[in-house]
Amino acid sequence: MRYIDYKTVLPRTVAGALVSLIVILPVFTTNMITLSIFISSGIWAVAAMGFTLILRTGQFSLGQAAFMAIGGYTSAIFTVNLGWSFWPSFLLAGMVSGIIALIVGSIVLRVGGTYFSIITLALSEVVRIIAQQWESVTRGTRGLITSPPSPIAIGGFEINFYASAVPYFYLTVMLVAVTAVVFWQIGRSRIGGTFYSIAANPILAEHQGIPLMKYRVIAFTVAGVFTGLAGSLYAHSLTVMTPYMLGLWQSIQIMIMSVVGGVGSLAGGPIIGSIVLYTFGIYLSRVEIYGIQQLLFGGVVVLALLFLPKGTGLIDLWDRFWRKVVWREEEYEPDTPDD
Amino acid sequence: MPPVGIWIDGLIQSCTYMTMAFGMVLVFSILGILNWAHGQFYMMGAFVFYYAVTAAGIPFPVSLLISGVLVGGLGILVQKFIIERVNIPSAQGALYVTVATIALIFFFEGAASMIFGMQDKGLAMVLPGVLDLGSFSVSYQKIAVVIFTLVIMITMYIVLNHTKVGLAIRAAAQEPNAASLYGINVKRLSLLVMGIGCALAAMAGGIMAPVYIINPFIGGVPMIMSLLAIVIGGLGSLTGAIVGGLILGFLNSVVAYHLSYFSEVVLFVLVIIILLVRPQGLFGASRK
Amino acid sequence: MSYLELRAVSKLFGKLAALQDINLQVNKGDIMGIVGPNGSGKTTLINVISGYYRPTRGTVLYDGKTISGKRPDQIAARGIARTFQSNVHFEGASVVESVMVSSYLQYRTRSWQAFFETRAYKDEHEAVVGRVLELLRMLDLFNDTFMPAEGLSHGYQRMLGIAIAMAANPRVLLLDEPTTGMNHEEAMFVVENIKKISEQGVTVILIEHNMKVLLNLATRVVVLNFGNKIAEGKPEEVMNNQEVIDAYLGTETE
Repeated sequence: MRYIDYKTVLPRTVAGALVSLIVILPVFTTNMITLSIFISSGIWAVAAMGFTLILRTGQFSLGQAAFMAIGGYTSAIFTVNLGWSFWPSFLLAGMVSGIIALIVGSIVLRVGGTYFSIITLALSEVVRIIAQQWESVTRGTRGLITSPPSPIAIGGFEINFYASAVPYFYLTVMLVAVTAVVFWQIGRSRIGGTFYSIAANPILAEHQGIPLMKYRVIAFTVAGVFTGLAGSLYAHSLTVMTPYMLGLWQSIQIMIMSVVGGVGSLAGGPIIGSIVLYTFGIYLSRVEIYGIQQLLFGGVVVLALLFLPKGTGLIDLWDRFWRKVVWREEEYEPDTPDD
Repeated sequence: MPPVGIWIDGLIQSCTYMTMAFGMVLVFSILGILNWAHGQFYMMGAFVFYYAVTAAGIPFPVSLLISGVLVGGLGILVQKFIIERVNIPSAQGALYVTVATIALIFFFEGAASMIFGMQDKGLAMVLPGVLDLGSFSVSYQKIAVVIFTLVIMITMYIVLNHTKVGLAIRAAAQEPNAASLYGINVKRLSLLVMGIGCALAAMAGGIMAPVYIINPFIGGVPMIMSLLAIVIGGLGSLTGAIVGGLILGFLNSVVAYHLSYFSEVVLFVLVIIILLVRPQGLFGASRK
Repeated sequence: MSYLELRAVSKLFGKLAALQDINLQVNKGDIMGIVGPNGSGKTTLINVISGYYRPTRGTVLYDGKTISGKRPDQIAARGIARTFQSNVHFEGASVVESVMVSSYLQYRTRSWQAFFETRAYKDEHEAVVGRVLELLRMLDLFNDTFMPAEGLSHGYQRMLGIAIAMAANPRVLLLDEPTTGMNHEEAMFVVENIKKISEQGVTVILIEHNMKVLLNLATRVVVLNFGNKIAEGKPEEVMNNQEVIDAYLGTETE
């Protein structure tokens, strides 16, 4: 008879149930606003996952919004200016973003960590400025008005993006799911271990034959592809693409979502971080007094960092909850090793 | 050749950026962290100065000192209660400090908006009048900015090179571990340095307050500019901060005159190129 | 043509010559000892061979091909691995994780195969895990397999360093003071293992201060002083060389 390890199975089942609830959310409500909160959170979650992946190799990129912008503008330009349909533009957005990430990464990842971060920061702004100035293509600050994908007929059904937010919701769910699965698998595979080693001790890793640049660029490019896809989705779900939507501040948001969610986790952490922070942001924006939004946002993030145990994020609270509250486990201190 | 006014503007911008960059590099050298909220201390210094002068009628130089002390003290509190607690020894520490200091940007901006209101406040020229030099004139206030900066730089030079505290600071900047073995309390020194860095930013804010307007949002640009300045000058180098600030101030002013919008792009692209070609900046130590 | 060769290698840091005009020839299967007082350039020598430093002058040749100027990962891929003088480790990793992650070169399957966990990858992975566990067993680290690497005692951390280097399947192993800080038993245990490694066909270069170890192991010894090679030969010969004694102890007039 197989014994079920309830300590592993139960939390996972509960987590699975919660995720399923979110996925079938449209059954309970087709409220545009609720759904759009999840849609936007999902899009940011994908970008945050990209940030975490790059962080896994020991670099932190303050330029992820730039790749969202590249993806968003690519699909906007191809659908609006060139008349392509949504789906190929969507995929193209991911590819273009990935290729640019590959090129930029190959050049920029050579320099050390802090310098890399500063360059990516500059990149966020440079992309925004290019979008603003390249009027002929991007229509500058007026932006490009994108349209939702055309209705898809499957069997007797018609998936109509114009009619409600539900198809967008599922499209986002699928993107988040695919990204999460891919990233999670990367994390637990040999590639993930290699990423970890070049972050933990690049010199040692190099002497073990691991080519540092290759893996840094891989992480940066993969993140770029998915972030570009997210950007495309962003542009079409908001039906507009302007330079102000994605700049340095958004890159910072992405970083905060990833860190607060928990950098140890490639999938769950960023997702939780995005949902929590985005929803919090939405509630804050409803408060009329301008200053208090910023004050509370900044304050809450600082408090979160102070109170979360060192180096962990929201996702780790889940683990701790089960261990300390439900199972009432004692903290285990291993014996000191014998000599 | 841009008119003299542009050069003068460039000069006072340089002064601001130099002072702020100097404070930032000092903090970076000892604490190893980049304080993204540095610009907010500039902003708060401007406000404290404003209120000290207008509401309390305190004379101008004293107000400047007060803003330096108060805001510097705030910096020490931030260091002690937030940054130290968040900064874990591993590489992740830098990440957490970055997120925390960025979050503080919003916190301080929001707090200032709520406490002081969002409208621009103009400070009447504390030193009214202009110096007429023939074909152009310079307001006394702008001259004061330059003088102030010189005083600060000289003071810093004296403190760093001719006092015990300064020696301790320089030692800790180079080798914190060795310094602590020599009996230097690096932790307390870090607090002091943070205080000095923030005080410098605050006083820069104060001295510039009458020249431009005051509102809760004036911290952003000086922050980015001082960051660029220390990149150009070299991340760990104090001299670099000064030179970087100088270059950047003039560059900003002159390029803006010729190219109006694109000046931002030029600056960013310049920084990117420098980081790629010579990441250690002009004076920074070359790392392996 | 020797297996590993240094030709007129110099390494200067500014005006300081850490290595001056070093000529060295190591034959396949040798166990070559490198000795010298502190600061004589021993670790710099290893850094140059492993690719961490690029020689200011001269070339390093391995198996007939120039390797000086190549990156450390390229040199490691050719079969040269090293340990470090201080206990380096991967932050937060356990013993087995550290060695597994260091086994990068043992894998022939590509990254995509690892990602999709294909049969070929799984088979190879199993084999690698087996070899890693063998390595741990050999170096007496097996009992600490899941222990955080930072928790090991100093002696065992040095063993871990050797395990990590061996995980790269090297044909040349550069050991930087492997027995420092160990008592006699531990040092002899390391000697045993180095002998085993050498018997497996690995060429060994080791920096050592411990004479007993050298006498036990080294086929040849090279002495460095102030970046210059001042003696070379069998261990007994070199140890009785007056110049060597002077270098370590200082001459009468000082």
